[in-house]
Amino acid sequence: MQLLQVQGIGKRYRQGELEVRALADVELTVTEGEFAALVGPSGSGKTTLLNIIGGLDAPSEGKVLVNGKEITAMPEAVLSSFRLFELGFIFQAYNLVAVLTALENVELVMVLQGRPERERRERARHYLELVGLGKVMDRRPSALSGGQQQRVAVARALAAGPRLVLADEPTANLDSENATALLDIMYKLSKEEKTTFLFSTHDARVMERAQRIITLRDGRIESDERREQSSHARALA
Amino acid sequence: MSTRTLHTTAPGKARLPLATMLMLAWRNLWRHRRRTVVTLVSIAFGFGLAVVMIGFTDGGHNNMIRNAIKLGEGHITVQPRGYLENPANHRYLADGKALASQIQALGVPGSVEPRISLQVLASTPANSVGAGLEGLASVDDARAKMLQPRLIDGSWFEPGDERGIVIGDGMARKLKARVGAKVVLMAGTQGGDSQAQLGRVRGIFDSRVDEMDDFLVLADIGLARLFLQGEGADASLAPVTRFAIFLDDPDALAVWAQKLKTGLDSDTVVALDWREMMPQLVQFLFIDAAGSYIFLLLILVLVVFGIVNTVLMSVLERTREFGLLRALGLGRRHLLLLVFLESLLLGLLAVAVGWLLGGGAHLWFAYQGVNIGALMGDNTQMMGTFMDPIVYSELSWERVQQLTLLIFIATLASGIYPAIKAARVTPVQALRT
Repeated sequence: MQLLQVQGIGKRYRQGELEVRALADVELTVTEGEFAALVGPSGSGKTTLLNIIGGLDAPSEGKVLVNGKEITAMPEAVLSSFRLFELGFIFQAYNLVAVLTALENVELVMVLQGRPERERRERARHYLELVGLGKVMDRRPSALSGGQQQRVAVARALAAGPRLVLADEPTANLDSENATALLDIMYKLSKEEKTTFLFSTHDARVMERAQRIITLRDGRIESDERREQSSHARALA
Repeated sequence: MSTRTLHTTAPGKARLPLATMLMLAWRNLWRHRRRTVVTLVSIAFGFGLAVVMIGFTDGGHNNMIRNAIKLGEGHITVQPRGYLENPANHRYLADGKALASQIQALGVPGSVEPRISLQVLASTPANSVGAGLEGLASVDDARAKMLQPRLIDGSWFEPGDERGIVIGDGMARKLKARVGAKVVLMAGTQGGDSQAQLGRVRGIFDSRVDEMDDFLVLADIGLARLFLQGEGADASLAPVTRFAIFLDDPDALAVWAQKLKTGLDSDTVVALDWREMMPQLVQFLFIDAAGSYIFLLLILVLVVFGIVNTVLMSVLERTREFGLLRALGLGRRHLLLLVFLESLLLGLLAVAVGWLLGGGAHLWFAYQGVNIGALMGDNTQMMGTFMDPIVYSELSWERVQQLTLLIFIATLASGIYPAIKAARVTPVQALRT
């Protein structure tokens, strides 16, 4: 089933007197359950594309459909609700609300979704345990390491039950050990939960696990390569 | 926990329960504990100071009002219509007995004092001065009770003493009269004749109000009534110039003033409350209170800037977090409310601490008072009344509500700008910061 359709997306913005073209004629389709990576050099448009797919930024032209709904035509308030119920986000850093504990951070999105307290508490605990943070769920972000914070962000994104998780360089600020652990967790959960992941990354470890690698260059899709699972991914699966 | 449990909630609008919002706002407030405490203390201290200042202003003013009422014509005065604008000896209530019965029938809780006020010329062999002769019905009259302790020579006249008078030390000096001296009291009649009565000084008082000390001649109502008889009044009807009504509960003034107006007002009789009787005093108190209100205004400005500064700094520091929350699905309205709640909590805390500081100081000064005698010396008389040397802080419940409401409104106003600033955050821009 086609979960994401990106049709003729372009993005231009002004930088002083110059018009910069960040994206041009991007066409992309992602099916449910894919573990895909957007790669490319800095400035190639990965984050801009991810932001447009997530409804955080508006394209200059083209449209984006998620689960058949055209998000690029949605009014802001509807788009905000759409993000809440359909999408999960993991950013590079500063992913968490500082005044909430790990458990409360994971619960927050479910609170916004209006889920009953008992259900959201159970789900939050479950996902925090899955990412290996069962013993530190009452700590605030300042008392967690960078790797632990990103795991909380992963737990939050998944606990809310999104169809599509957009992860913008989630391992960029992590050491090798933490990055590997985090990717393994996401890969495993994507298989178990059948959740679709779309990464923007430079990280070879992400590429190693991805079933599909979409390469962007100068705002255009240069290549779109589907591949067999790596041995590492097979081992995890 | 499988995918089957996912997407169980039908997509709708984001919901952020008030309890969660309050919890977030409260914790956000304490992110920078020191900054919040400094803001809180400065607002609370300023507010506490305003409470104390207004307590003293109200205390001083109320003291002056109480003294003015006791020395003057009571909480409510019933007198001939037009007397206030054009007082004259021939304007009096001819049938005082009937009017007294009418007032009594209304069941006014307090004392009703019949009084006669006359403009006379007081003369001794040494001098003659214009005077106000005030005839009082009993030694328990509020004015008599107020002035009895201020006698500096002699004694008060006995009830039914138709010759005894008590004068102020100012008049005594002008007339060169001592206790026991004879004073001739002379008044013109409406017909153009003159009439005179002999008075003998029984006592001399110092009320601390020069206008009274220089002008008043107090006597038994019987002596004053002789002048009304000279104007043609029937003494058996107990004619009077007015009834001064002293309420047991001054807070019931509005109710009883209205009842008396409704029950008694006619073409010849009018009921007036003390504000209507002493408009100059009301005006003076209003102008005097303006200083306190200017101070309060400065405090409100301090509150507004204190809250705007703290909350706005906190908002600017959290731009990225707001972007994250917006990305996760939190609406602008929620962000606006969240930041507004932070201002509100800060304001409420400041008011609470301010009331603790200011209210505590108020309670202390309400019981202990402050002796301003040394500061003011004999200079405590104003507008025909005076302020006691020891001033006690006074705050009415209305004043408490008014002050709290003002600070509350200032808090709400100061929360608007930071809240709008937070609500304007766009996820993409914020996440780039």
